[in-house]
Amino acid sequence: MKIALELTINGERHEVTADPQRSLLDVLRFDLGLTGTKENCLEAECGVCTVLLDDRAVNACILLAAQCQGRRVLTIEGLARDGERHPLQQAFIDHGAVQCGYCIPAMILSAKAYLDEHPGPTEAEVREALAGNLCRCTGYQKITEAVLAAARVMRGER
Amino acid sequence: MSFEYHEPTSLAEAVEMGSAFGVDGRFLAGGTDLIVQMRRGRVSPRHVLSLHRVPGLDGITIDGTVRLGALVTHRALERHADFRGRLRALVEGAEVIGGHQVRNVATVGGNIVNASPAADIVPVLLSLDAEVTCVGPEGARALPLDGFLVGPGQTARRPGEVLESVRFASLPPRSATAFLKAGRRKAMEISVVCVAARLTLDEAGERCVEARIALGAAAPTTFRARSAERALAGRAPVVEAFREAGRLAAAECRPISDVRASAAYRAHLVERLVHRALSRCAERIRGAAS
Repeated sequence: MKIALELTINGERHEVTADPQRSLLDVLRFDLGLTGTKENCLEAECGVCTVLLDDRAVNACILLAAQCQGRRVLTIEGLARDGERHPLQQAFIDHGAVQCGYCIPAMILSAKAYLDEHPGPTEAEVREALAGNLCRCTGYQKITEAVLAAARVMRGER
Repeated sequence: MSFEYHEPTSLAEAVEMGSAFGVDGRFLAGGTDLIVQMRRGRVSPRHVLSLHRVPGLDGITIDGTVRLGALVTHRALERHADFRGRLRALVEGAEVIGGHQVRNVATVGGNIVNASPAADIVPVLLSLDAEVTCVGPEGARALPLDGFLVGPGQTARRPGEVLESVRFASLPPRSATAFLKAGRRKAMEISVVCVAARLTLDEAGERCVEARIALGAAAPTTFRARSAERALAGRAPVVEAFREAGRLAAAECRPISDVRASAAYRAHLVERLVHRALSRCAERIRGAAS
Protein backbone atom coordinates (compact mmCIF):
# COMPACT_ATOMS: atom_id res chain seq x y z
CA MET A 1 0.00 0.00 0.00
CA LYS A 2 1.44 3.36 -1.01
CA ILE A 3 1.80 6.14 1.52
CA ALA A 4 0.89 9.79 0.91
CA LEU A 5 3.57 12.09 2.29
CA GLU A 6 3.93 15.77 2.72
CA LEU A 7 7.51 17.01 2.88
CA THR A 8 8.99 20.49 2.91
CA ILE A 9 12.03 20.30 0.70
CA ASN A 10 14.27 23.32 0.32
CA GLY A 11 11.45 25.51 1.59
CA GLU A 12 8.85 24.15 -0.82
CA ARG A 13 5.99 21.87 0.11
CA HIS A 14 5.86 18.63 -1.84
CA GLU A 15 3.21 15.94 -1.85
CA VAL A 16 4.61 12.54 -2.70
CA THR A 17 3.03 9.12 -2.93
CA ALA A 18 5.58 6.41 -2.24
CA ASP A 19 5.90 2.73 -1.48
CA PRO A 20 6.75 2.23 2.22
CA GLN A 21 10.15 0.77 1.43
CA ARG A 22 11.24 3.90 -0.42
CA SER A 23 14.04 5.77 1.28
CA LEU A 24 14.22 9.53 1.55
CA LEU A 25 17.10 9.26 -0.92
CA ASP A 26 14.89 7.45 -3.47
CA VAL A 27 12.22 10.10 -3.17
CA LEU A 28 14.69 12.96 -3.56
CA ARG A 29 16.56 11.51 -6.52
CA PHE A 30 13.96 9.53 -8.43
CA ASP A 31 10.62 11.09 -7.55
CA LEU A 32 11.71 14.72 -7.33
CA GLY A 33 14.78 14.70 -9.60
CA LEU A 34 17.00 16.27 -6.96
CA THR A 35 20.15 14.41 -7.98
CA GLY A 36 22.56 16.63 -6.05
CA THR A 37 22.17 14.17 -3.21
CA LYS A 38 24.29 11.16 -4.20
CA GLU A 39 23.79 7.44 -3.82
CA ASN A 40 26.61 5.08 -3.03
CA CYS A 41 26.98 2.58 -0.17
CA LEU A 42 23.32 2.54 0.93
CA GLU A 43 24.47 1.52 4.43
CA ALA A 44 25.23 4.84 6.15
CA GLU A 45 28.95 4.28 5.86
CA CYS A 46 30.08 6.77 3.23
CA GLY A 47 27.89 9.80 3.88
CA VAL A 48 27.37 10.92 0.25
CA CYS A 49 23.59 10.91 0.76
CA THR A 50 23.72 13.38 3.67
CA VAL A 51 20.84 15.87 3.80
CA LEU A 52 19.59 18.01 6.65
CA LEU A 53 16.36 16.81 8.26
CA ASP A 54 14.97 19.52 10.54
CA ASP A 55 18.49 21.03 10.49
CA ARG A 56 20.27 17.82 11.47
CA ALA A 57 22.56 15.85 9.20
CA VAL A 58 21.17 12.42 8.38
CA ASN A 59 21.95 9.63 5.91
CA ALA A 60 19.02 9.75 3.49
CA CYS A 61 19.83 6.22 2.27
CA ILE A 62 18.73 4.48 5.47
CA LEU A 63 15.84 6.74 6.35
CA LEU A 64 12.45 5.64 5.16
CA ALA A 65 10.66 8.46 3.39
CA ALA A 66 7.65 7.58 5.53
CA GLN A 67 9.59 8.57 8.65
CA CYS A 68 10.00 12.08 7.23
CA GLN A 69 6.28 12.87 7.03
CA GLY A 70 5.71 16.54 7.80
CA ARG A 71 9.39 17.33 8.24
CA ARG A 72 11.81 19.80 6.63
CA VAL A 73 14.55 18.60 4.33
CA LEU A 74 17.44 20.67 3.00
CA THR A 75 19.43 19.34 0.05
CA ILE A 76 22.37 20.92 -1.76
CA GLU A 77 19.95 22.37 -4.32
CA GLY A 78 18.39 24.52 -1.60
CA LEU A 79 21.56 26.01 -0.20
CA ALA A 80 22.15 28.97 -2.52
CA ARG A 81 19.93 31.99 -1.81
CA ASP A 82 18.61 34.08 -4.71
CA GLY A 83 21.33 32.76 -6.99
CA GLU A 84 24.05 33.60 -4.48
CA ARG A 85 26.25 30.78 -3.27
CA HIS A 86 26.37 29.85 0.39
CA PRO A 87 29.74 30.80 1.97
CA LEU A 88 30.59 27.08 2.18
CA GLN A 89 30.00 26.62 -1.55
CA GLN A 90 32.15 29.64 -2.35
CA ALA A 91 34.91 28.54 0.01
CA PHE A 92 35.01 25.03 -1.51
CA ILE A 93 35.53 26.63 -4.94
CA ASP A 94 38.09 29.17 -3.69
CA HIS A 95 40.16 26.58 -1.85
CA GLY A 96 40.15 23.95 -4.58
CA ALA A 97 38.39 21.57 -2.19
CA VAL A 98 36.59 19.74 -4.99
CA GLN A 99 38.14 17.03 -7.15
CA CYS A 100 35.72 14.46 -8.56
CA GLY A 101 32.94 16.18 -6.64
CA TYR A 102 30.86 13.16 -5.72
CA CYS A 103 31.16 13.60 -1.94
CA ILE A 104 30.98 17.38 -1.99
CA PRO A 105 27.21 18.13 -1.70
CA ALA A 106 27.07 15.94 1.40
CA MET A 107 30.34 17.31 2.72
CA ILE A 108 28.97 20.84 2.47
CA LEU A 109 25.69 19.94 4.18
CA SER A 110 27.48 18.18 7.06
CA ALA A 111 29.68 21.23 7.43
CA LYS A 112 26.65 23.52 7.40
CA ALA A 113 24.86 21.56 10.12
CA TYR A 114 27.98 21.71 12.25
CA LEU A 115 28.82 25.38 11.68
CA ASP A 116 25.24 26.45 12.37
CA GLU A 117 25.71 25.07 15.89
CA HIS A 118 29.46 25.67 16.31
CA PRO A 119 30.45 28.91 14.57
CA GLY A 120 34.08 28.91 15.73
CA PRO A 121 35.46 25.37 15.39
CA THR A 122 39.10 24.30 15.50
CA GLU A 123 40.61 22.32 12.65
CA ALA A 124 40.33 19.14 14.72
CA GLU A 125 36.66 19.82 15.37
CA VAL A 126 35.99 20.32 11.67
CA ARG A 127 37.65 16.99 10.90
CA GLU A 128 35.56 15.30 13.56
CA ALA A 129 32.41 16.97 12.27
CA LEU A 130 33.10 15.52 8.80
CA ALA A 131 34.06 12.03 10.03
CA GLY A 132 30.85 10.58 8.59
CA ASN A 133 31.66 11.83 5.08
CA LEU A 134 34.26 9.93 3.08
CA CYS A 135 36.27 11.51 0.27
CA ARG A 136 38.54 9.29 -1.79
CA CYS A 137 40.20 12.12 -3.76
CA THR A 138 41.27 15.07 -1.70
CA GLY A 139 42.83 13.76 1.50
CA TYR A 140 40.51 16.21 3.32
CA GLN A 141 43.11 18.95 3.79
CA LYS A 142 41.57 21.44 1.39
CA ILE A 143 38.07 20.53 2.49
CA THR A 144 39.03 21.32 6.08
CA GLU A 145 40.62 24.60 5.01
CA ALA A 146 37.50 25.53 3.04
CA VAL A 147 35.21 24.84 5.99
CA LEU A 148 37.38 26.92 8.33
CA ALA A 149 37.41 29.75 5.77
CA ALA A 150 33.63 29.56 5.38
CA ALA A 151 33.25 29.67 9.15
CA ARG A 152 35.18 32.94 9.20
CA VAL A 153 32.92 34.39 6.51
CA MET A 154 29.81 33.19 8.29
CA ARG A 155 31.04 34.89 11.49
CA GLY A 156 31.35 38.09 9.48
CA GLU A 157 35.16 38.16 9.59
CA ARG A 158 35.73 37.78 5.85
CA MET B 1 12.58 -5.19 0.63
CA SER B 2 8.82 -4.98 0.74
CA PHE B 3 6.62 -4.39 3.74
CA GLU B 4 3.63 -2.58 5.17
CA TYR B 5 4.50 0.48 7.24
CA HIS B 6 2.70 1.37 10.46
CA GLU B 7 2.94 4.24 12.88
CA PRO B 8 1.31 3.38 16.19
CA THR B 9 0.57 6.51 18.22
CA SER B 10 0.60 4.98 21.69
CA LEU B 11 2.56 2.31 23.49
CA ALA B 12 -0.61 0.24 23.84
CA GLU B 13 -1.21 0.38 20.10
CA ALA B 14 2.42 -0.51 19.38
CA VAL B 15 2.17 -3.55 21.67
CA GLU B 16 -1.13 -4.58 20.15
CA MET B 17 0.26 -4.39 16.62
CA GLY B 18 3.53 -6.03 17.64
CA SER B 19 1.63 -8.94 19.18
CA ALA B 20 -0.73 -9.29 16.21
CA PHE B 21 2.11 -9.40 13.67
CA GLY B 22 4.39 -11.63 15.78
CA VAL B 23 7.49 -12.73 13.91
CA ASP B 24 6.28 -10.93 10.76
CA GLY B 25 6.66 -7.55 12.45
CA ARG B 26 9.68 -5.49 13.47
CA PHE B 27 9.74 -2.32 15.52
CA LEU B 28 11.67 0.53 13.92
CA ALA B 29 13.58 3.04 16.04
CA GLY B 30 16.51 4.85 14.40
CA GLY B 31 16.77 2.22 11.67
CA THR B 32 20.55 2.54 11.38
CA ASP B 33 20.85 -1.21 11.72
CA LEU B 34 17.41 -2.55 10.81
CA ILE B 35 17.14 -0.81 7.44
CA VAL B 36 20.64 -1.96 6.49
CA GLN B 37 19.85 -5.56 7.50
CA MET B 38 16.59 -5.41 5.53
CA ARG B 39 18.35 -4.10 2.45
CA ARG B 40 20.91 -6.89 2.70
CA GLY B 41 18.01 -9.34 2.84
CA ARG B 42 19.07 -10.67 6.25
CA VAL B 43 15.69 -9.81 7.74
CA SER B 44 12.47 -9.43 5.78
CA PRO B 45 9.64 -8.30 8.06
CA ARG B 46 6.25 -8.00 6.41
CA HIS B 47 5.31 -5.22 8.80
CA VAL B 48 7.53 -2.38 10.00
CA LEU B 49 6.23 -0.55 13.06
CA SER B 50 7.84 2.83 13.49
CA LEU B 51 7.84 3.96 17.12
CA HIS B 52 8.37 7.65 16.35
CA ARG B 53 4.81 8.71 17.00
CA VAL B 54 4.64 7.03 20.39
CA PRO B 55 4.85 9.90 22.88
CA GLY B 56 7.47 9.94 25.63
CA LEU B 57 9.88 7.41 24.20
CA ASP B 58 12.55 10.01 23.45
CA GLY B 59 12.61 11.59 26.90
CA ILE B 60 15.41 11.74 29.48
CA THR B 61 14.34 12.19 33.10
CA ILE B 62 16.66 12.53 36.08
CA ASP B 63 15.46 12.41 39.70
CA GLY B 64 17.65 10.10 41.76
CA THR B 65 17.09 7.65 38.94
CA VAL B 66 18.09 8.37 35.37
CA ARG B 67 15.57 7.16 32.82
CA LEU B 68 16.40 7.07 29.14
CA GLY B 69 13.48 6.45 26.83
CA ALA B 70 14.18 3.83 24.17
CA LEU B 71 14.21 6.43 21.39
CA VAL B 72 16.78 8.72 23.03
CA THR B 73 19.42 9.30 20.37
CA HIS B 74 23.17 9.10 20.78
CA ARG B 75 23.18 12.79 19.94
CA ALA B 76 20.97 13.51 22.94
CA LEU B 77 23.31 11.57 25.25
CA GLU B 78 26.37 13.30 23.85
CA ARG B 79 24.94 16.71 24.48
CA HIS B 80 23.15 16.27 27.80
CA ALA B 81 24.64 18.70 30.34
CA ASP B 82 23.95 16.31 33.25
CA PHE B 83 26.10 13.58 31.73
CA ARG B 84 29.32 15.63 31.73
CA GLY B 85 30.14 14.77 35.36
CA ARG B 86 30.03 11.37 37.03
CA LEU B 87 28.16 9.85 34.08
CA ARG B 88 30.75 10.97 31.55
CA ALA B 89 31.04 7.45 30.10
CA LEU B 90 27.58 7.92 28.57
CA VAL B 91 28.94 10.84 26.54
CA GLU B 92 32.14 8.97 25.71
CA GLY B 93 30.23 5.88 24.60
CA ALA B 94 27.78 7.88 22.50
CA GLU B 95 30.23 10.13 20.71
CA VAL B 96 32.33 7.35 19.18
CA ILE B 97 29.46 5.79 17.24
CA GLY B 98 29.36 6.37 13.49
CA GLY B 99 29.42 9.96 12.29
CA HIS B 100 27.03 12.75 13.22
CA GLN B 101 24.54 11.47 10.66
CA VAL B 102 24.21 8.14 12.46
CA ARG B 103 24.32 9.57 15.98
CA ASN B 104 21.53 11.99 15.09
CA VAL B 105 19.13 9.08 14.55
CA ALA B 106 20.56 5.93 16.19
CA THR B 107 18.85 5.22 19.52
CA VAL B 108 19.79 3.79 22.89
CA GLY B 109 16.92 1.30 22.70
CA GLY B 110 18.03 0.18 19.26
CA ASN B 111 21.58 -0.34 20.48
CA ILE B 112 20.28 -2.50 23.36
CA VAL B 113 17.75 -4.57 21.40
CA ASN B 114 20.22 -5.11 18.58
CA ALA B 115 22.36 -6.95 21.17
CA SER B 116 25.58 -6.65 19.21
CA PRO B 117 28.53 -8.07 21.16
CA ALA B 118 30.38 -4.93 20.01
CA ALA B 119 27.73 -2.40 21.10
CA ASP B 120 29.30 0.73 22.52
CA ILE B 121 26.66 2.25 24.76
CA VAL B 122 25.56 -1.08 26.22
CA PRO B 123 28.75 -1.70 28.28
CA VAL B 124 28.31 1.77 29.77
CA LEU B 125 24.75 0.89 30.78
CA LEU B 126 25.94 -2.46 32.19
CA SER B 127 28.51 -0.63 34.30
CA LEU B 128 25.65 1.45 35.72
CA ASP B 129 23.64 -1.65 36.73
CA ALA B 130 20.92 -0.52 34.35
CA GLU B 131 17.50 -2.12 34.21
CA VAL B 132 15.30 -2.23 31.12
CA THR B 133 11.53 -1.93 31.04
CA CYS B 134 9.66 -3.91 28.41
CA VAL B 135 5.98 -3.41 27.77
CA GLY B 136 4.00 -6.28 26.32
CA PRO B 137 0.48 -7.65 26.15
CA GLU B 138 0.73 -8.68 29.82
CA GLY B 139 1.89 -5.26 30.94
CA ALA B 140 5.25 -3.84 31.88
CA ARG B 141 8.15 -5.77 33.36
CA ALA B 142 11.55 -4.57 34.48
CA LEU B 143 14.61 -6.76 34.21
CA PRO B 144 18.34 -6.25 34.65
CA LEU B 145 20.08 -5.33 31.41
CA ASP B 146 22.67 -7.94 32.33
CA GLY B 147 20.15 -10.77 32.08
CA PHE B 148 18.40 -9.19 29.09
CA LEU B 149 21.35 -9.76 26.74
CA VAL B 150 21.20 -13.46 26.00
CA GLY B 151 23.50 -13.96 23.00
CA PRO B 152 24.73 -12.28 19.83
CA GLY B 153 21.65 -10.47 18.48
CA GLN B 154 19.47 -12.13 21.10
CA THR B 155 17.64 -10.62 24.05
CA ALA B 156 15.02 -11.74 26.54
CA ARG B 157 12.46 -9.51 24.81
CA ARG B 158 9.29 -11.47 24.09
CA PRO B 159 7.38 -11.29 20.81
CA GLY B 160 5.29 -8.13 20.69
CA GLU B 161 7.14 -6.52 23.56
CA VAL B 162 8.46 -2.99 23.17
CA LEU B 163 11.64 -1.97 24.98
CA GLU B 164 10.24 1.17 26.59
CA SER B 165 13.16 2.56 28.59
CA VAL B 166 16.37 1.87 30.43
CA ARG B 167 17.07 3.26 33.89
CA PHE B 168 19.80 3.33 36.49
CA ALA B 169 20.46 5.00 39.84
CA SER B 170 22.29 8.33 39.91
CA LEU B 171 25.82 7.86 41.20
CA PRO B 172 26.82 8.78 44.74
CA PRO B 173 29.61 11.28 45.43
CA ARG B 174 33.20 10.06 44.91
CA SER B 175 32.04 8.09 41.86
CA ALA B 176 33.18 8.32 38.27
CA THR B 177 32.77 6.48 34.99
CA ALA B 178 34.95 6.15 31.91
CA PHE B 179 34.57 4.55 28.49
CA LEU B 180 37.40 3.58 26.14
CA LYS B 181 37.14 2.14 22.68
CA ALA B 182 39.81 0.63 20.47
CA GLY B 183 39.01 0.71 16.77
CA ARG B 184 41.14 0.45 13.67
CA ARG B 185 40.48 4.12 13.08
CA LYS B 186 38.76 6.86 15.00
CA ALA B 187 35.40 7.29 13.29
CA MET B 188 32.82 5.07 11.63
CA GLU B 189 34.34 1.92 13.06
CA ILE B 190 33.04 -1.08 14.96
CA SER B 191 34.90 -1.59 18.21
CA VAL B 192 37.81 -4.01 18.27
CA VAL B 193 37.27 -3.90 22.02
CA CYS B 194 35.50 -1.39 24.25
CA VAL B 195 35.54 -1.01 28.01
CA ALA B 196 33.26 0.84 30.41
CA ALA B 197 34.30 1.29 34.03
CA ARG B 198 32.64 2.75 37.13
CA LEU B 199 34.32 3.33 40.45
CA THR B 200 32.96 4.55 43.78
CA LEU B 201 35.46 5.33 46.56
CA ASP B 202 34.88 5.60 50.31
CA GLU B 203 34.66 8.96 52.05
CA ALA B 204 38.39 9.21 52.59
CA GLY B 205 39.00 8.29 48.96
CA GLU B 206 41.25 5.45 50.12
CA ARG B 207 39.22 2.34 49.29
CA CYS B 208 37.09 1.15 46.38
CA VAL B 209 33.55 0.71 47.68
CA GLU B 210 32.17 -0.51 44.39
CA ALA B 211 33.62 -1.17 40.95
CA ARG B 212 32.02 -2.16 37.68
CA ILE B 213 33.79 -3.25 34.53
CA ALA B 214 31.87 -4.05 31.35
CA LEU B 215 33.35 -5.16 28.05
CA GLY B 216 32.28 -5.02 24.42
CA ALA B 217 33.55 -7.14 21.50
CA ALA B 218 35.26 -9.47 23.97
CA ALA B 219 32.67 -12.28 24.23
CA PRO B 220 29.41 -13.41 22.51
CA THR B 221 27.60 -10.64 24.42
CA THR B 222 28.64 -7.44 26.09
CA PHE B 223 29.24 -8.52 29.68
CA ARG B 224 30.53 -7.61 33.13
CA ALA B 225 33.98 -8.83 34.17
CA ARG B 226 32.85 -9.90 37.62
CA SER B 227 36.09 -11.41 38.94
CA ALA B 228 37.85 -8.13 38.17
CA GLU B 229 35.06 -6.19 39.89
CA ARG B 230 35.27 -8.39 43.00
CA ALA B 231 39.03 -8.08 43.20
CA LEU B 232 38.71 -4.31 43.48
CA ALA B 233 36.22 -4.23 46.36
CA GLY B 234 37.88 -2.85 49.47
CA ARG B 235 41.20 -2.27 47.69
CA ALA B 236 43.07 1.01 47.59
CA PRO B 237 42.59 2.75 44.21
CA VAL B 238 46.20 2.33 43.15
CA VAL B 239 47.91 1.29 39.93
CA GLU B 240 48.63 -2.25 41.16
CA ALA B 241 44.95 -2.90 41.87
CA PHE B 242 43.87 -1.56 38.47
CA ARG B 243 46.55 -3.60 36.73
CA GLU B 244 45.38 -6.75 38.48
CA ALA B 245 41.78 -5.96 37.50
CA GLY B 246 42.96 -5.68 33.91
CA ARG B 247 44.62 -9.09 34.09
CA LEU B 248 41.53 -10.68 35.62
CA ALA B 249 39.25 -9.13 33.00
CA ALA B 250 41.54 -10.40 30.24
CA ALA B 251 41.39 -13.89 31.76
CA GLU B 252 37.61 -13.66 31.96
CA CYS B 253 36.90 -12.50 28.41
CA ARG B 254 36.16 -14.90 25.55
CA PRO B 255 37.02 -12.96 22.38
CA ILE B 256 37.03 -14.29 18.85
CA SER B 257 39.51 -13.77 16.04
CA ASP B 258 37.98 -12.02 13.04
CA VAL B 259 38.82 -9.49 10.33
CA ARG B 260 39.28 -6.75 12.93
CA ALA B 261 41.65 -8.44 15.36
CA SER B 262 42.88 -11.72 16.77
CA ALA B 263 41.52 -13.09 20.01
CA ALA B 264 44.94 -12.70 21.63
CA TYR B 265 45.15 -9.06 20.65
CA ARG B 266 41.65 -8.43 21.96
CA ALA B 267 42.56 -9.98 25.32
CA HIS B 268 45.65 -7.78 25.41
CA LEU B 269 43.52 -4.72 24.71
CA VAL B 270 41.08 -5.71 27.46
CA GLU B 271 43.92 -5.89 29.97
CA ARG B 272 45.31 -2.49 29.03
CA LEU B 273 42.01 -0.66 28.57
CA VAL B 274 40.52 -1.92 31.85
CA HIS B 275 43.61 -0.65 33.66
CA ARG B 276 43.41 2.67 31.86
CA ALA B 277 39.65 3.13 32.31
CA LEU B 278 39.90 2.48 36.05
CA SER B 279 42.82 4.90 36.34
CA ARG B 280 40.76 7.47 34.53
CA CYS B 281 37.85 6.96 36.95
CA ALA B 282 40.21 7.47 39.90
CA GLU B 283 41.62 10.63 38.30
CA ARG B 284 38.13 11.95 37.74
CA ILE B 285 37.10 11.32 41.34
CA ARG B 286 40.22 13.13 42.55
CA GLY B 287 39.59 15.93 40.06
CA ALA B 288 36.00 16.40 41.24
CA ALA B 289 37.09 16.43 44.91
CA SER B 290 39.81 19.04 44.49
